[in-house]
Amino acid sequence: MSASYLTKRVALIFYTLLIVSLIVFAMTQILPADAAVMMLGENATEEALAALREQMGLNNPVWTQYLHWIAGVFQGDFGTSLRTGLSVGPVMVEALSRSLLLALFSICLMLFIAVPLGILAAVRRGKIVDMAVSLISYVGVSLPEFVTATLALLFLADRWKLLPPTGYVPLTENFWDGVAHLIMPAAVISIILVAHVSRMVRSEMVDVLHTDYIRAARLKGLSSRQVLWGHALRNALLPTITIVALDVGYLLGGVIVVEEIFAIPGIGRQLIIAIQARDLPSIQAGVLIMAATYCVVNFIADILYSLLDKRIQYD
Amino acid sequence: MTSDTAAPVLSVEGYSLDYLTAKGPFHALKNISLSIGAGEIVGLVGESGSGKSSLAWSIMRYLPGNAHEVSGTIRFDGSDLMARSNSEIEAIRGKRISMVFQDPATSLNPTLSLGRQISEVLIRHQGLSKKQAWAEAEARLAHVGLKTPAQMMHRYPHEASGGEKQRVVIATAFACNPELIIFDEPTTALDVITSRQILELFQSLQQETGVASLYISHDLALVASTAHRVSVINRGEIVEQGKVGEIFTRPQDPYTKKLIAAVPDPSVRLAGSEPDYAAKPLAEVENVSVIYGRKPFFGRFSKKAGNHVTGNRAVNLAIQPGEILGIVGESGSGKSTLAKAMTGLNKFEGEIRFEGRPIHSIADMSDSYRRDVQIIFQHPDASLNPRKTIGDILSRPYRLYTEYSGKAMRDEISRLLEQVKLPASYAARYPHQLSGGEKQRVAIARAFASQPKLVICDEITSALDVSVQASVIELLMELREEFGTAYLFITHDLNLVRQIAHRIAVMYRGDLIEIAPTRDITAPQRAAYTRQLLEAVPVPVARSAP
Repeated sequence: MSASYLTKRVALIFYTLLIVSLIVFAMTQILPADAAVMMLGENATEEALAALREQMGLNNPVWTQYLHWIAGVFQGDFGTSLRTGLSVGPVMVEALSRSLLLALFSICLMLFIAVPLGILAAVRRGKIVDMAVSLISYVGVSLPEFVTATLALLFLADRWKLLPPTGYVPLTENFWDGVAHLIMPAAVISIILVAHVSRMVRSEMVDVLHTDYIRAARLKGLSSRQVLWGHALRNALLPTITIVALDVGYLLGGVIVVEEIFAIPGIGRQLIIAIQARDLPSIQAGVLIMAATYCVVNFIADILYSLLDKRIQYD
Repeated sequence: MTSDTAAPVLSVEGYSLDYLTAKGPFHALKNISLSIGAGEIVGLVGESGSGKSSLAWSIMRYLPGNAHEVSGTIRFDGSDLMARSNSEIEAIRGKRISMVFQDPATSLNPTLSLGRQISEVLIRHQGLSKKQAWAEAEARLAHVGLKTPAQMMHRYPHEASGGEKQRVVIATAFACNPELIIFDEPTTALDVITSRQILELFQSLQQETGVASLYISHDLALVASTAHRVSVINRGEIVEQGKVGEIFTRPQDPYTKKLIAAVPDPSVRLAGSEPDYAAKPLAEVENVSVIYGRKPFFGRFSKKAGNHVTGNRAVNLAIQPGEILGIVGESGSGKSTLAKAMTGLNKFEGEIRFEGRPIHSIADMSDSYRRDVQIIFQHPDASLNPRKTIGDILSRPYRLYTEYSGKAMRDEISRLLEQVKLPASYAARYPHQLSGGEKQRVAIARAFASQPKLVICDEITSALDVSVQASVIELLMELREEFGTAYLFITHDLNLVRQIAHRIAVMYRGDLIEIAPTRDITAPQRAAYTRQLLEAVPVPVARSAP
């Protein structure tokens, strides 16, 4: 991996984000929302509206508005929320940090379950264990989040009182309480992810176990455990890195239902609120920040991959 | 070196093995008896599917779940291997019986360093600490002739050449001083010169350690020069075994006779009439270079060139009408690149002239050029569409290049199939219903459908067994007699090319080293590389006879 490759990749991320920003901006232009009306309310006078439009630059050509906005973005200023009047950037970044924490929690929990399941299914291919694993994962993937979330709430929180029902407590405030609040939503999300990651690990593992080098390792007299952990696992897990990185997209935007049910003020929830309120600066900022996170996570995954597999060399 | 009195290291007696399949049991090995004494090298020769690998797996106790051992015993050092438990076998494998595999590129784990892969054997079987094992492994690598063992230890498989990797595999096999080593086609995946070096390494290590060796190969010439005794295996049965000299000079079994007769022998010329060298050349290649690699996406904005690999560097050659021009060289020497350039599969620089018409790029290749110049590829499995019938496959050139259609075309296809010695009824079959040799005949038929003047044969027999190869070559010679077709015959098999070619072109790393008439290829004034290539090739069987 060369420095020039890293520069190229960072440049490519900026390029991607530029295109995303254009699309987002174009979308907010099409939305039937008048920022001035949003701010002053339905009953505002035409004069007041016109004055505000002039003040906000809404009468300028679209591309001037875009340049004005993107210039602000480059300086870290995403604009002011039409709904709350607060600066949009810090609000969205804070929401993102909560979502990322939940995502990280879910991924760890998921890997903790999915990887052993996948390996077990591969090693016992065609046996009862294999079938049980695929049955469990198919059930998991076919249950919608709101069903599992409701069930979890009903039993774990309401009936057995094992975990706090909803809400979000920052880890910096009260670490263990914060963790307790994260367990249920993370479990609900990971049930969905376990299915396809464990299938992925299984099929990769099955392929790897059939390679010549695994046969060679066995014929060197290594024990089954040494062959599995020392030789097969690394190669079988490599593609999983890519899959998990792609899942981050789902974890950021697709878990709105879970965030709603458990009342976690994550970025998905913020975005829904912004859309409902036609809060254009918030929508723009939210989407752009999510896209940026997604790009960075996949970039990290690629670098991780090349560190684990020396054949992958970027130049 | 055979020790007749001492008990053999390995003795297989009356061993039969079935694979249980949906269609009933498949008899992979039938009543096999074979023994190897200390210090002895026993060659096991057979074609693909003969069961030679199954025997290796049986000895290694590495059989698939559907294997059923019908009868017989496998004894190692006097004790019954078949009665050993799984953990006992794990303690024997790699320590007392080890194995060297065919392809070092696939038998080494791509994500582990070479050092890790050899030292783990020492840790496992010799009880060495990580540090001791690493030092010992490094010494072992030095012992197998690797020049920079310390660096090699830290390298990954993709950072080493094929020969270096096979040396690592061999060092691993010898690491625990085993009593028996099974060599499963250890040089088949390597280049001519590299495989010669690996063979020499095997011989010196074997002499030094006196390890009993089972040397599995399809290459009779190679086994003849390596083994003390030979067993010939055909369809799961050992049809003949005995001392090397006896088997190769006085074979008894008809299969062995057929096998020996099929081995290419340069002293037996098959080429047929010499072309007219005074005539106007059919095709000329002038200063043709092929450069692989594209500019990377961002490179377009900069002036920096991408990572280019030269496939061919200013190659010049000419082919006479009806001539068989052999092209030899190691893998990566640019043989196939030239073939691809001439058929428009690669971009090239320079000029190709066909019957005097100049061609500078793929766009210049007219329909008539494409009709006159056909190519046959190495793997018929990859070059025949598995979802089309043979009839469909063969109808393509007729539709493209001829006026035939409907009934007339079907008649032509039947005639063509018969010409390549296949029944006309094969037109209704799919490629997977044919054997490897039959598929290659279909590929030949497809090339000849347009009645070309030049056929480029790109390693067309290297995926085939030696007896099948002989019949395919025979067919090519017959077709040439009939149509006067010229061949550009690309191969790495020097003995074969010396049998059939009129002239031989030698390539090395993209350069054309020289072109010489076949009868002069062994002359002392040949280029150093040509001589090196020839010296690396095992002497054909018939000549090794006393």
